[in-house]
Amino acid sequence: MMPGHIVRFAIAIVAFSILARLPVGLDPAFQFDAALAIVWGFGILSLVLLTGYAGQVSLCQATFAGVAAYGAGMTVAGMHGGYLLGIVIGVLAATVLGVIVGLPALRLHGITLAIVTLGIALVFDKYVFQDHIFDWFTGGTGGWQVTQASLLGIPVDSSTHLLNAYDVMLALFCVVAVLMVNLHQSGAGRRFRAIRDSELAASTMGVNLTRYKLLAFAISAGIAGLGGSFYPLIAGSVSPQPFWVFTSLQLAAIGVLMGVRYVPAAALGGLFMAVVPDVLTRYGHGTFMNRFNYDISYDWFQLAVGVLLVLQLILLPDGVWGDIRARASRAWDVVRMKPREEMRPA
Amino acid sequence: MTQFAAYTIIGLSLGGIFALAALGIVLIYRVTGVLNFAHGAMGMFSTFVAWQVFYGMPHTGMAPWMVTAEAIAAGLVFAVLLGLVLELAVFRWVRNRPQITKAVITIGVLLALQSAASLIWKNNQYHLPIYLAPQTATFKIADVPIGANYIVIVVVALGLAFGLAAFLRGTAFGRAMRAVSDDPTAASLWGVRVDMVGAVSWMLGSLIAAVAGILITPFINFDTTSLTLLIVDSLAAALIGGLVSLPMTVLGGFLLGLLETYPTMWIQSLGLPRLIALLVILAVLIIRSPRGLPAVAR
Amino acid sequence: MTMLRIRNLGVRFGGVVALQDVSLDLNRGEILGLIGPNGAGKTTLFNCISGVIAPNEGTIHFEGRSLRFAPPHERARRGIARTFQNLQLWGSMTVLENLELPIDAIARRNTLSDALGLPFSQYAERAASERARGILHALDLGRHAHRLAADLPAGIQRRVELGRALAMRPKLLLLDEPAAGLDASETEHLAKLLHRVRERFRVSMLLVDHDMSLVMRVCDYIYVLDFGRVLSRGEPSAVRNDQKVIAAYLGEATPETAGEGAEAVVVTAEPRVQRADAVEVARSTGPLLEVKGMAAGYGHLEVIRDINLTVQAGEVVACIGANGAGKTTTLRAISGVIRPRAGRVTFGGADITGSRPEHISRMGLAHVPEGRGLFPRLSVEDTLRLATDSAGTPDRLAAAFEVFPRLKQRRRQAVGTLSGGEQQMVAMARALLTQPRLLMIDEMSQGLAPTIVRQLFQMIDVFREQGTAVLLVEQFVESALAVADRAYIFEHGSIAHEAPAEELRRDRGLISGSYLGSAPDSTEAIEVAANGNGHHRVVDPQLMEILSMRVPAEVKRALEERAEREGRSAGALALELLEEVNHN
Repeated sequence: MMPGHIVRFAIAIVAFSILARLPVGLDPAFQFDAALAIVWGFGILSLVLLTGYAGQVSLCQATFAGVAAYGAGMTVAGMHGGYLLGIVIGVLAATVLGVIVGLPALRLHGITLAIVTLGIALVFDKYVFQDHIFDWFTGGTGGWQVTQASLLGIPVDSSTHLLNAYDVMLALFCVVAVLMVNLHQSGAGRRFRAIRDSELAASTMGVNLTRYKLLAFAISAGIAGLGGSFYPLIAGSVSPQPFWVFTSLQLAAIGVLMGVRYVPAAALGGLFMAVVPDVLTRYGHGTFMNRFNYDISYDWFQLAVGVLLVLQLILLPDGVWGDIRARASRAWDVVRMKPREEMRPA
Repeated sequence: MTQFAAYTIIGLSLGGIFALAALGIVLIYRVTGVLNFAHGAMGMFSTFVAWQVFYGMPHTGMAPWMVTAEAIAAGLVFAVLLGLVLELAVFRWVRNRPQITKAVITIGVLLALQSAASLIWKNNQYHLPIYLAPQTATFKIADVPIGANYIVIVVVALGLAFGLAAFLRGTAFGRAMRAVSDDPTAASLWGVRVDMVGAVSWMLGSLIAAVAGILITPFINFDTTSLTLLIVDSLAAALIGGLVSLPMTVLGGFLLGLLETYPTMWIQSLGLPRLIALLVILAVLIIRSPRGLPAVAR
Repeated sequence: MTMLRIRNLGVRFGGVVALQDVSLDLNRGEILGLIGPNGAGKTTLFNCISGVIAPNEGTIHFEGRSLRFAPPHERARRGIARTFQNLQLWGSMTVLENLELPIDAIARRNTLSDALGLPFSQYAERAASERARGILHALDLGRHAHRLAADLPAGIQRRVELGRALAMRPKLLLLDEPAAGLDASETEHLAKLLHRVRERFRVSMLLVDHDMSLVMRVCDYIYVLDFGRVLSRGEPSAVRNDQKVIAAYLGEATPETAGEGAEAVVVTAEPRVQRADAVEVARSTGPLLEVKGMAAGYGHLEVIRDINLTVQAGEVVACIGANGAGKTTTLRAISGVIRPRAGRVTFGGADITGSRPEHISRMGLAHVPEGRGLFPRLSVEDTLRLATDSAGTPDRLAAAFEVFPRLKQRRRQAVGTLSGGEQQMVAMARALLTQPRLLMIDEMSQGLAPTIVRQLFQMIDVFREQGTAVLLVEQFVESALAVADRAYIFEHGSIAHEAPAEELRRDRGLISGSYLGSAPDSTEAIEVAANGNGHHRVVDPQLMEILSMRVPAEVKRALEERAEREGRSAGALALELLEEVNHN
């Protein structure tokens, strides 16, 4: 194996062992947050691939996750299949939707693509996930109820064995993260990045735009779907709320905020999305200086995200992680005493 | 038949609101190059301000129409200030960034505005609209009683559209705006203060969005999220006009309103209109221009 | 063997004809040049060959197979590579990655296999990497292998683009203005490089550029395009001496072009003031516009360096020079459209370096940019009113319409629907209305037939009378020199020469040399007018060889100074000196 691959695998294993320990001993609500963090982590990871690597803007990633969640729920609760089958069906459904969404993307760019994906997010949120025509898919008003599930013999049901589910999800996340970074450095990754930087040059240098754009959408939707398909498992049920338009917008916002080109940004972002609001609402109330009552709710979190996003785009176009990375490389260059011309720009 | 007429009027008034919202979007886009995803959110916030003045403050000794006028004025003034603040604090600094970056910034603004509104007014559904005409007044068209409010909405929408057109065509500042929207670099070479024109277009766009928001209150149980999400329908109408032609945008708005209303004669579905809007977007984008949005000289 | 065969190619964009009935043959191993004035359709032709645009009519055959229906990536697979006028590198990728991509884009790679890092993928990676390094080495780019493409200076970026195109092992290489933004020595290197590349990689090339020295040196055969049609073709020396080509570049009316669109433009102008007087008066008050040591560019490209020029009040000054020499960039840096990177610009005594365009415009410095800077959807009347809105002069629309009666006819028409000549009239009318102190016009004659051009140049005199100084950038040298007092000759981003217009009108050799490049292999005896008295001398061709190489700016200045002291023309002096050298 090439050194790059080995290093990445090593990092992934170390990260897994550390992160797997984290939620042990915390109360169930926090454990749920941790698992949810991974669901959204997958969502942002999918954005890293689609927007960060391939340059295609998408405002409907939560929709892909939702489709997978409902697909898994339908398989398990509606058709009484095993959860493994549920995950497969969920991911498959999301991938198919990804290809369909990718088709208009062949002709549209930038803003128009964003508009279309926003429209899709809205349609699925308000219509497909809520209208009774689709009850066969969504399980009716209450949605699918999932209990007592097991995955390859490991009990993973939400009420008593949440940590197992968390471990499985974390392992998958690490694997997919490593695969993505491998992809980034490889020939296929270069083709995606070329599409992002200059489609014109890419197509005249031999990249089949149709194939690679559709591929980007398909894989991205699949990744988001992988996360989403675990949702019924950890939450016990599926409803439209977690996958509504605003979630897609927040995924995009936090992805860009953290740095949509970098895989670690996805992990950070997922954590940010799942854990921070809950911590804030739980501990964010009380009395300040014995006089002011404060009560931080989820809305404060979203307000902060919105404001931070605007500030970040004005000041730090490459995201928080991008900025950290750039400063770190420059510092590293200084340490290694590289001559001035060869240093990376600040 | 009479049912058809009634639905037509309703569709037209809904369409009038879409047309207004879309006008604001196209105006801002053409002059500043920003596709404002937060347009619905801005209208929503201003509408809530108006609502707050209308229902949340005591109005002893004031005639009902004065209360309405005061509320609307408050909303509109707020809208203008909001537009100005956004231009000065945000969009002035990103003039030369790519369009997609500017659009993502508006998503940040959308999130911020929606959550701020939610903090202030909570996530309740409000059933109390602001009526421009007495609620019970009706006109008779072909022997069918039609709520006066619907007619008023159509009139206001058309009036504002024509007013905007007159402003753009007939005044010096309107000329300057049209020049900037054709070519900002050339406009600055002609001595046009591009920054000021940009600021005014934001203020004007925000104003029109507020009007649209206030007008739509009879139609929906409005809350902070559904108004914000009307952006998709507004975008659909704007796209019918190709993001260029104001008359086509207005027509597009009315058309979309009809398209979304007629099916409700047979199908009761909250979500179906959204699907229609999406299909219109797709149809327009894919049929009309193989290469996406019209190039706005930036 | 004909590698590329184009027959009767036609491309239309809306109402504009970009290419018309273009036919071209490229043989294996050839370097074919494609030249022509701006707007002649060269990039459009490239876009057709590489598959970015589909032509409206005509055929393109590559190695015997038709290219119709082949999407761009398929054409790449068949062996057509290209570089881009405005550099389309993949900026976020390293130089090495930029080259690796075309290598493995042609091969079929499996995305999953790449992600998993399977042995096949790793092997392909290594192979691609090695070959890419080889090319980098051949182009002397090895040091930059791991730098991000976006961080490199323009000259190196151009080489990287070339390397990227070569990485594909193409049979045909399309080079779109590879010398853009390069100075004289870099262009020199490029010429040598292209020959080396042909030897080493055995690739045929189709080259488009404005830099004549490059084209004439490098190409085996040249096609000249003008107004979308093939104007002339032949070997470099033949083309350079072709009267039609010279006329197209320098702007004289020829039988072919005179007949086109000859509209009767009625321009009523007031009688002229004596030119000499006006200049005298103006010179006493100090320069109206002064530019010192200005440098400017776009992104990484530094297009102009060390620009020094002045314009006196009431003067008409022309800037001439080949395309890409930096004339337009200079005007834009003066009027504020781009920020100068170095140097100072003073207008009427005030420092306007880096000020906003609207501010500068309101100070009385009007700039009519390339393309006229009009607003397509505004009506004529609205446009003129816009001018008076910001210039604050009283409403003189009626007067403007008197000067341009044709505009009065079309006052309600949208400017975008007017003909080229009429649009130029609108631009001129603006200058009449706002009465700026200095009017800068960029390529006034672009796209217009010579008859209209002549009439428009008469307008320049009108401006001079109303007290407006004029700074003119022009491709049509004849007409520019007819109306100007002085001229600056731009070359490779700097000012190579400055002279009174009269002198340049006499010494045509200087200008055509600047436009059409040197003649390294000219063997004919050429007559030269050596001094203003009309004495002709027939000169030894070997001597001409030395003479016709471009003389560096400093040497020219030295010659001029000496000539001034001795009261003779610089041309005569140069000849004399060189004869002495030759005989010693």
